[in-house]
Amino acid sequence: MSIEQGPNQQVPPHLESLGTSGAAPFPPTDGSLKDYGPLADTAEPSTAATQSELDLQAEQGVGERVTEGQSLSPLQASLRRLGRDRRAMACFAIILFIVVASYIFPFFYLHIGPTIQGGASGATAVDPETYHQYTHQELLLNNTPGVVWKLLTLQAPTTEDFAYPLGADQLGRDIFARTMAGINISIQVALLVELLDIMLGLTIGTLAGFYGKWVDTGLARFTDVMFAFPGLLLVILAAATIGPVAQKQFGPVGQLLVVAVVLGITIWPQMARFVRGQSLQIKEQQYIEASRTVGGSNRHLILSHIVPNLFSIVIAAATLNIVGTITAEAVISLLGLGVQPPGSSLGLMISEGIQTVTAYPFEALYPSLILILLVACFAFFGDGVRDAFDPRTKD
Amino acid sequence: MNVLSNLPAIILLTLIVGFLVFTGFRVGLQFLVKRIAGLVFVMFAASFITFTLGVWSPITAVDAQLGDKYTPQKAAILHHFYGLDKPFFERYWDYVTRLMRFDLGDSWLSRGRSVWSILSGQLPASLLLGLSAVGIAVLVGISAGMLAALRSNSRYDTAVQGSALFFYALPTFVLYPIFAISMTFLYNRDLPHLPVVSTEFGLAHPEQMIAPILIFALVQMAFYVRITRTSTLEVLRQDYVRTAKAKGLSQRQVVWRHTFRNAMIPLLTAIGPALAFVVNGAFITETVFNIPGVGTTTLSSIAQNNTPVVQGTVILLAVAVALMNLVTDVLYGVIDPRIKTV
Repeated sequence: MSIEQGPNQQVPPHLESLGTSGAAPFPPTDGSLKDYGPLADTAEPSTAATQSELDLQAEQGVGERVTEGQSLSPLQASLRRLGRDRRAMACFAIILFIVVASYIFPFFYLHIGPTIQGGASGATAVDPETYHQYTHQELLLNNTPGVVWKLLTLQAPTTEDFAYPLGADQLGRDIFARTMAGINISIQVALLVELLDIMLGLTIGTLAGFYGKWVDTGLARFTDVMFAFPGLLLVILAAATIGPVAQKQFGPVGQLLVVAVVLGITIWPQMARFVRGQSLQIKEQQYIEASRTVGGSNRHLILSHIVPNLFSIVIAAATLNIVGTITAEAVISLLGLGVQPPGSSLGLMISEGIQTVTAYPFEALYPSLILILLVACFAFFGDGVRDAFDPRTKD
Repeated sequence: MNVLSNLPAIILLTLIVGFLVFTGFRVGLQFLVKRIAGLVFVMFAASFITFTLGVWSPITAVDAQLGDKYTPQKAAILHHFYGLDKPFFERYWDYVTRLMRFDLGDSWLSRGRSVWSILSGQLPASLLLGLSAVGIAVLVGISAGMLAALRSNSRYDTAVQGSALFFYALPTFVLYPIFAISMTFLYNRDLPHLPVVSTEFGLAHPEQMIAPILIFALVQMAFYVRITRTSTLEVLRQDYVRTAKAKGLSQRQVVWRHTFRNAMIPLLTAIGPALAFVVNGAFITETVFNIPGVGTTTLSSIAQNNTPVVQGTVILLAVAVALMNLVTDVLYGVIDPRIKTV
């Protein structure tokens, strides 16, 4: 009561005995509570303080502060919220570093390293421009531990170890170069799948939510089938049956293209259902009604009012989906149905490395660690994006 | 038709029909009919997709069986035997009628053994692995999730949430190299260790069961932690929980009687399909540990272009998922009468 009255107002005499008169800053801080005399002693100041701190945190985390929010567009506000999430930003920095490095560094990497004795006889001089290509095999130098592993196991590295910093695999291919090529594949597949996912999910979800009727029924039935039909198995089946055909048509990328398209086909119904639910809600908003009253056509309503409002949740969902896509691509390649050798993929490298994991652990270790790092960072970043762009779904 | 060979299917069917009749009284006939109609539709669609992918397969039954003994006469005989000379829809109809008799067809390899006899030999290992992993994951996941929700925003909660997100995103197979490397390390130093392959996965070799089950459970656990935490928090916000606290119930009573039961509903949705996926084996866990289960059989059949076996596992899984969805839907109605009219 006295809190609402504010510090400058006169407190009625009958309340003065409670000891709550005078200035009452809200929310009360630790220090101010101590000055309250009898109330502070009875009200367990520690719990009261943590509760108010929680409230403060909740206000700052979920809602924009009024002074800032008024001049910011929703997108700017979301980006600012995302920028404050330290864990998400750290993960984003790591992702950015890994991805950019995996695209740019191979060009420099081709010129770094000593000249080694290799070739079929072991007496030919081979320079880094050859052996740092991710498909190049030096069969005589297979299972070279590499300088990192030598240092980890406290052994003295040789020239070959300096040539292959992360070692060479069973066929004498540079693991570092192959890892970078594998990251490229993961990112490309993830982007392609998400593009397909957003295009299909957004179009059909919006139509189903806005028009209802047969689009809606069809979507519901199709989603039912997709849920009963395990996505991974469908991808495996399609990769096994259509993959070889596509490989003849489009060359080595054919198999991967099939995997990406089928992955996209299996995940878009989730996005569409999500979008449908949201556009059903948006459709009932007053600004839609207002736009219709002044003569807005259906097309105008969808393109200028509904789709822009779906933007944030679609971005949030797609970022979280990337994790699943990267994992799925790795699984498919692990099972030997994705990228075919001599191409490289993190999943393929892990599956090759697992076969000799007890003898040469480093061959499976590095791609596994990179995959863990990539997937974990995308998960934490996606979580942050979801919190920032779609605060309502926060617990 | 041999009744005995279909005995497992018949027992399963009787159990399901019994369950539906028993619960049907509680959830209403209309609800049940609607759900079963949906199930039939899903089954048709799943069988159609499976069949079509089989037709598109680059290798036909004829190529698979003849190999280098190919002569046009033999090919023509087999072509007719497998009905490949019939039109597409007639072949699909044959396929569906065979499925309705619980006949998954015959393998193209291994001297034409029936698909069911191949898969039923692998099922026990897959079921053992899957069910124990799901069991552990559900038990530990729900407890951790509940605790996290009850102590929300504490340090424990942050830790649980962070690790759940991490393991939820993590594919199983990256845990395997790390496990294998640490076991090799222990082995080289004569310390107690676990085997890194489980070729004889079963109750006879418990030491081979520990690692696959734990690794398979760990990844699923994260999923249950997340769902439990969210749904428990949702329930804790409800008025009836406040009322329960206000009328002086102990924390234990509030948690178990008012919170837990209501928070279970979203969990059912997750556990149902997870149980169904058990029939398909854990592709990745089985592959990395070399467990002879349905998953490894499916993968080797894919590699050998043995289409009927692959189709068999897909159908098996689709049936299991559809049935578990039906059972889950009916259970909703039993647990929470308000859901009846959905």
